[in-house]
Amino acid sequence: MLKLMKYEFRKTAFSKLILLCITMVVEIVYLLGVFLKKDNLLFIGIMLLTLCATAGILYIGLESINVLQRDLNTKQSYMLFLTPRSSYQILGAKILENGISILLTGVFFAVLAVIDIAVGNYKELWDMLYRFLDMNMNISIDPWMIAFNFFSALAGWITCIVSADLAVILSASVLAGKKASGIIAFIIFIILTTILGMGMDMLPELNSIELTFALDIAVSFLAAAIFYLISGWIMDKKLSV
Amino acid sequence: MVLESREATKTYGRKTAVDHVSLELEAGFVYAMLGPNGSGKTTWMKMAAGLVKPNSGGILYQNQPIGIESKKEIAYMSTEPYFYSWMTVADVGKYYEDFFDDFSMEKYHQLITSMELTEDMRAKKLSSGMMAKLKIAVTMARKAKIYLLDEPLNGIDLLARDEIMRTILASIEPDVTMVISSHLIDELERVADAVLFMKEGHLIRQCMVEELRISQHKSVADLYREIYGHGGEAVC
Repeated sequence: MLKLMKYEFRKTAFSKLILLCITMVVEIVYLLGVFLKKDNLLFIGIMLLTLCATAGILYIGLESINVLQRDLNTKQSYMLFLTPRSSYQILGAKILENGISILLTGVFFAVLAVIDIAVGNYKELWDMLYRFLDMNMNISIDPWMIAFNFFSALAGWITCIVSADLAVILSASVLAGKKASGIIAFIIFIILTTILGMGMDMLPELNSIELTFALDIAVSFLAAAIFYLISGWIMDKKLSV
Repeated sequence: MVLESREATKTYGRKTAVDHVSLELEAGFVYAMLGPNGSGKTTWMKMAAGLVKPNSGGILYQNQPIGIESKKEIAYMSTEPYFYSWMTVADVGKYYEDFFDDFSMEKYHQLITSMELTEDMRAKKLSSGMMAKLKIAVTMARKAKIYLLDEPLNGIDLLARDEIMRTILASIEPDVTMVISSHLIDELERVADAVLFMKEGHLIRQCMVEELRISQHKSVADLYREIYGHGGEAVC
């Protein structure tokens, strides 16, 4: 499994390196803004770092769907399916590598944000924002809540990617050679994510906000696990490359 | 019997690529799989390699369905290039070493050297002849029980063909089975023990090469012409 994951990482390593390089350049812009006290550089830096974080996390997920699509529909598929590994291992390696990449990228940008806030000495600004939201809007910003929100969003994104993987696998196996297989697969993806979204909305609110978020994350991962098992079964029984 | 195809059938939409093919392959034999384009050779090989799932029937390796265990002992060489675009010749060897216990890096190095390939060459930039050599080198560097070689001589010049045939022949052992498909019948006739003729998804004939020469005074090429040239009903 680790060897499969190593090669999955290798397939997307270039784009991750590009993301890292862009982030480094933007970080330099931000730091120049901080140390030279140039507000315009600071503003551009903050905006671009936010963009790098969101676009980067989205792109890593989308690229994994593209890699899967290529691995199932081109001759490249032989590299994977000639190996003595089960469909579950092959797909599991893809999902795990991508999930870990998304989580690590999220953690990377979160840590970078904390460092940047510290470097910029924005504690005063942060405290002001905290008081403003607390007094005027009755929103209390708790670092734990931010973390839970953040990881809940990441878990939701990973589940969304796994459901897209299922649609791609359906398109390449059960629907292979049929007219409009791509459109049907896309509709299946929309239905899956809609059902999942409705299911998440129906989750009960628990005693504490932390528990509610933990339940959200757990249900997201449970749904991802179910999509993975269905996808693996379809690959095992129906997929010809 | 090491490999058995039981009524294996594969359809793509309305087209039946392989139609109820039943055959048994013995250890220690070299089989030439012959037939025109679209006769089902490649699809059958892909089923035996575990890449394609049959719609009905199946293929058994040592009485077990094709799967993880068979992939450990069956080496398949596709006619099309299939390596990742970022791979160098060295990466291809490392990949096979990572996944196949029977892969010998030492043999791989010997083979790529004899085929004038270097480790730093990018796979996607290789000419078709060099790519064929790389595919053969990485496949034959495995110590497999069965080799399925799909058109290993396709688009290769005469000298490279000789090199590839030498490499293939060097891997023949008493417990090893080879199935080689090719349009170059003369090349195969020199090495094959038995011939499998495919036509429109069916296995229409199979015979031993030596028996054909002795009892019918025919070459494989003669029989090929009879079967495909005139739609004849040659008997082995």
